[in-house]
Amino acid sequence: MTAPPTQPIPLPRKPAASTASLLIVPSLIGALVALALGIYGRVHSPTGIAINIAGFSSPGTVKSWLATGATVFAIVQVGSALVMYGKVPRVTAPEWIGGLHRWSGRIAFLLAVPVAIHCLYALGFQQYSTRVLIHSVVGCLFFGAFTVKMLILPKRGLPGWVLPVAGAVVFTLLVVIWLTSAYWFFSTFGIKA
Amino acid sequence: MKRNTPLITLLVGAALGVVLLVASMLATPSSAQPNYSAVAASSAAPASSAAPAESSEAPEPAESSAAASAPAAAPSPGPTRTTPTRADFTGRVGGGGGSVAVAVHGDKAIAYVCNGSTVEGWMRGKVEGDKLVLTGKNQTHLTASYHAGKVTGDVEAHGTDYSFSVPTVSKSSSKSSGLYQATAVVQGKTIKAGWIVLGDGTQVGSVEIGESGEKAVTAPKLDVATMTARIGNVVLHAVPVSGVTGSGF
Repeated sequence: MTAPPTQPIPLPRKPAASTASLLIVPSLIGALVALALGIYGRVHSPTGIAINIAGFSSPGTVKSWLATGATVFAIVQVGSALVMYGKVPRVTAPEWIGGLHRWSGRIAFLLAVPVAIHCLYALGFQQYSTRVLIHSVVGCLFFGAFTVKMLILPKRGLPGWVLPVAGAVVFTLLVVIWLTSAYWFFSTFGIKA
Repeated sequence: MKRNTPLITLLVGAALGVVLLVASMLATPSSAQPNYSAVAASSAAPASSAAPAESSEAPEPAESSAAASAPAAAPSPGPTRTTPTRADFTGRVGGGGGSVAVAVHGDKAIAYVCNGSTVEGWMRGKVEGDKLVLTGKNQTHLTASYHAGKVTGDVEAHGTDYSFSVPTVSKSSSKSSGLYQATAVVQGKTIKAGWIVLGDGTQVGSVEIGESGEKAVTAPKLDVATMTARIGNVVLHAVPVSGVTGSGF
């Protein structure tokens, strides 16, 4: 893989060119992650079974609660990001807001991983209904988008809109995943542990 | 230091994913994994040249699936191959005491026979020319041949013999007709449920309890709208077994 053009000093290039060059490698890696998950989910024979977590009545409930937890932390993400960017009137960002944002994000991601593994291993990439197809596609895209967001976070010299847009995409994808899985599950079978 | 934390987050997540995946593989009973022999030859290969594949065990489940789905896309089977490369067949067995479903994908086939109660069995096998030979646990076996859109033959499960002649699943009759399976762990026991849904919407299903597959009971009704069924508090998520889409192969 060719290295992206390096920037010795964050000024000499035109902003458009440097933004593209900073984003291309993370975007490609993210695309590969999404593609790899989708291909694995498609070619791997769904076993219908995976390790179960004690204390819940079925994998469906475990996954629904984990996904709901991830979504709640993702909402914290959006809230803390708005505060950090000064978008909430009359609220100045407290010192700990960065820590809250980072840790809520980490927890949301780590909650989502076991759900995704169960989906990919036990159920696979399916398309027998619109809900399932959307869930399969968006589930793969989410981890690609999250990878992109993580990879561009440390980059310096990006325009101000990039991180909010990336964060919004990741959040939107997660909410779609939640709506097509946990929300569907709870509304179909009732809320239970 | 700070600049690297997002990468660490990613790597921790990836590591967690790998650990869970490996744990899932270890937790999966071997019966749930495809363990039929992998055939590297394409579906267009004549039966005679595909013969040596009998001895080789599948090296990687994913690999075998990939090998099956890639060449199966080829539209023209060889001269000896009369069975479609991607097809699903379902129907009642002779006498109407149960149903049978056969899914053909490439040169592999999966079949399920079920009387909606204690007689049922899953089988896997191969397609060679117009012949299908499938075997499963407890001497469950099926031999059939394909002719003019129908699979005709005999199947034996739990000592019960059925003859059958079943047509291709018609796409126009019912979108949900076909073969479905679900596995779950209930009270420490692995169960495997199977349903055959016919074009007129009628369905039969059984649940194997334990890995031996010897004991089976009537399955709860499969809700084809949600692809779920319930056993007490446990929700079973059914996945289609289809030669047309390759699901379950």
